[in-house]
Amino acid sequence: MLFNSLSFIVFLVIVLALYYSKLFNWTNKKRMLLLASYIFYGMWNPPLIILLWISTMIDWTAGKRLAVETNKKKRKLWLLLSMCVNLGFLAFFKYGDFFLENFTVLVNSVGIDFQARPMDIILPMGISFYTFQTMSYTIDMYKRKTERAKTFLDFALYVTFFPQLVAGPIVRAKELITQFYEPKKATVNQFVWGLFLLTLGLFQKVVMADTLLSGTADDVFGSDKLLHGVDAWTGTLAFSGQIFFDFAGYSTCAIGIALMLGIILPDNFRYPYASLGFSDLWKRWHITLSSWLRDYLYIPLGGNRHGITRLYVALMLTMLLGGLWHGAAWTFIVWGGLHGTYLILERLQRQYLPFKITKWNGMFLALTTYTCVNITWIFFRAPNFDKAWNMFKSMFYMQTDGEKILGSFEILKVSVVIAILFLCHWVMRNTSVKEVSLKTSPWVLGIVWTIMFMLIVIAQGSGEQFIYFQF
Amino acid sequence: MKLKQTLIIALILSITGLTAWEMYWRSQGFFPTIDDNKALWAVQRSRVKNLTPQDIIFTGSSRVLFDIQLNEWEQETGKRPVQLASVGSSPLPIFHDIVNNTDYYGTLVVGVTPGLFFSTTFPKAQPWEWPQSRVDFFKDRTYAQRLNHLLSLPLQKNLVLMSAGEVDMDDNIDLKALLKRIKIGNRIPEGMPPFYEFGKFTSIDRNLVMMEKTVTDTAFANTIKKVWMFYGKGAPPPDKEATMAFFLKDAEKFKARGGNLILLRCPSSGGGRIGESHGLPRKDFWDDLVKQTNVKAYHFEDYNQFKNLECPEWSHLSAEDARFFTTELAKIMIADGAITNSKTN
Repeated sequence: MLFNSLSFIVFLVIVLALYYSKLFNWTNKKRMLLLASYIFYGMWNPPLIILLWISTMIDWTAGKRLAVETNKKKRKLWLLLSMCVNLGFLAFFKYGDFFLENFTVLVNSVGIDFQARPMDIILPMGISFYTFQTMSYTIDMYKRKTERAKTFLDFALYVTFFPQLVAGPIVRAKELITQFYEPKKATVNQFVWGLFLLTLGLFQKVVMADTLLSGTADDVFGSDKLLHGVDAWTGTLAFSGQIFFDFAGYSTCAIGIALMLGIILPDNFRYPYASLGFSDLWKRWHITLSSWLRDYLYIPLGGNRHGITRLYVALMLTMLLGGLWHGAAWTFIVWGGLHGTYLILERLQRQYLPFKITKWNGMFLALTTYTCVNITWIFFRAPNFDKAWNMFKSMFYMQTDGEKILGSFEILKVSVVIAILFLCHWVMRNTSVKEVSLKTSPWVLGIVWTIMFMLIVIAQGSGEQFIYFQF
Repeated sequence: MKLKQTLIIALILSITGLTAWEMYWRSQGFFPTIDDNKALWAVQRSRVKNLTPQDIIFTGSSRVLFDIQLNEWEQETGKRPVQLASVGSSPLPIFHDIVNNTDYYGTLVVGVTPGLFFSTTFPKAQPWEWPQSRVDFFKDRTYAQRLNHLLSLPLQKNLVLMSAGEVDMDDNIDLKALLKRIKIGNRIPEGMPPFYEFGKFTSIDRNLVMMEKTVTDTAFANTIKKVWMFYGKGAPPPDKEATMAFFLKDAEKFKARGGNLILLRCPSSGGGRIGESHGLPRKDFWDDLVKQTNVKAYHFEDYNQFKNLECPEWSHLSAEDARFFTTELAKIMIADGAITNSKTN
């Protein structure tokens, strides 16, 4: 079920009505939320709920045993079981065809004639998110960093909680499970603010991403021609805006919906396009994934504890795997590799060419960071390397004889939207929507809310999927 | 933070604003319409599995949609047909789907618009990709998508502001379409001439009629003619060999299991008919198709009551003529033994 759909509106109204009715006690309310979460997921493809159940059962059992087991070897085996099941799901459902394709290329390159039929496996929606979330529980249990979930219901709801089930934020057990222990009810202010955030998230998705930017990005990246430099830049900038609004929109909706139930979810985006460098970027973009990768990959790989070379290797491996997490294609790995390179170069710069960031060079630095991020988006969005290379040629060799496919208004529209996006991020980088709203009069905030709501209705989004569902 | 106050302000302003938006578009002559989208088509496609051999399915392109009126057909034959035609489409993908993915063996009427029927079998070409996307949607649609469709129908029927079309038309009033109409300079060459909606559904089982404006407003009808000329000029040469081979294979399979296949050529007139006669002469295309398929076939030129029918925009019949065409066609087919009259049997 998509947040930007009529069925979700009906679903949410029913869930809220049941949640705030006096029909149920807290345990039954949690049961109702769990059932609702399965319905939310099953409306897409019911049989794939079984994967959720398996993941839930395995990690609940593993967590239970890890809580009482003292034998180190057995503890390791329980952790391995959890990781094998979750990563096994990912490997089979997400990377099955990718592995097969590359295996075929590899054996063909050594002269063995082997052709494999693609497995055409359906990618279960949100599998990358809920497997990472449940794995964080067993890893934290193994490291004794979190308490065991008190009941199976609390744990199952943690894995399946519908607002963040299919595209995050990826929430740690101690942040969410503990909230299920005591009855939760949003205050009036929390409820209304949650509704505002839901509207803001839908506005980002339906109006900004789908209506204003996606068409341009699709036209440019869907074209098989060598494009004029202006068109290539416009398409890349449009995609940078689209992916931000799409994903940040989903997270904002999730946070708002959870807040309407009295549950607090962590921030996932903090104005990333005004980042001052790349380590700053990863503290602002998909925060819950980058902190997951830091805690469960980068640090176990050695982090910065074993000298400079090991640090660079850990950084690069983390980013390469982070790239692969986003999609089963080499273009995503290159995307991750570029980010790894940026992070290493940034560390070198800090070591050998340190400079103080002032308000004067800050914006220049933010713009430079944003430009470099745009280069990585080419690989993220391009369907293959040929297209990515064509985009590079168009953007950096300033192809003036390339094909023009965008009208002047479209270029102007994208330029204005991206300029506003960048300036908003710059102005907001040290604050939050909540803080700004506290200083805003009800009339101004009410008018902003109205404009967003009206534009959502007028845009009449056709229920397009969120980009991150495919990851 | 006075959030309650903010919410009340937003609610009042939103209701006022949306009411004004709705009233404005109504004052501009717009009215609520049901969109001919994949979900609407899929509901009709889902009926096929429950059909009996006495039932009838129509498929083809927009001419079958405009020219076959479900009420009149039902009145004449006693059976309400299933309308699976799709605008701007080759009928081959949908026919292929019915033949290969169902065990239906009743009557199946395939509309033959020569420029579309003989156009292509290339999966990425629009006349193929479009109907195939409907077939794929039917196969893959989720429960959420089914529910979304059900919930959207009452809104589509009652609100102009909820009438966004799946197909990009130049009179759509959703935000994307409104922005698309803004042009600055001439950085890229002009594309297709403006294309406006000229039909409307009168029932959710896809009974389409031509809007009265198309008949009464010549200037409006001319805008549609310009679109046909644009398509006519830009169309690649027909691929008779591949399309015939593809169709004949499915036709044989359908006939072999007892299916009653009928070919239908709906009227065209004016420049459209001249263009068709020139680019896809009857003798080389229609006659050869009928000969090779060896099934009952009806060409409007062969019947006195049809051959002088005028299409206001060269390609589709007005609502009144469509009712006449449907009634007469049903009578002809019954008399010919191509179909039976369920009312009398």
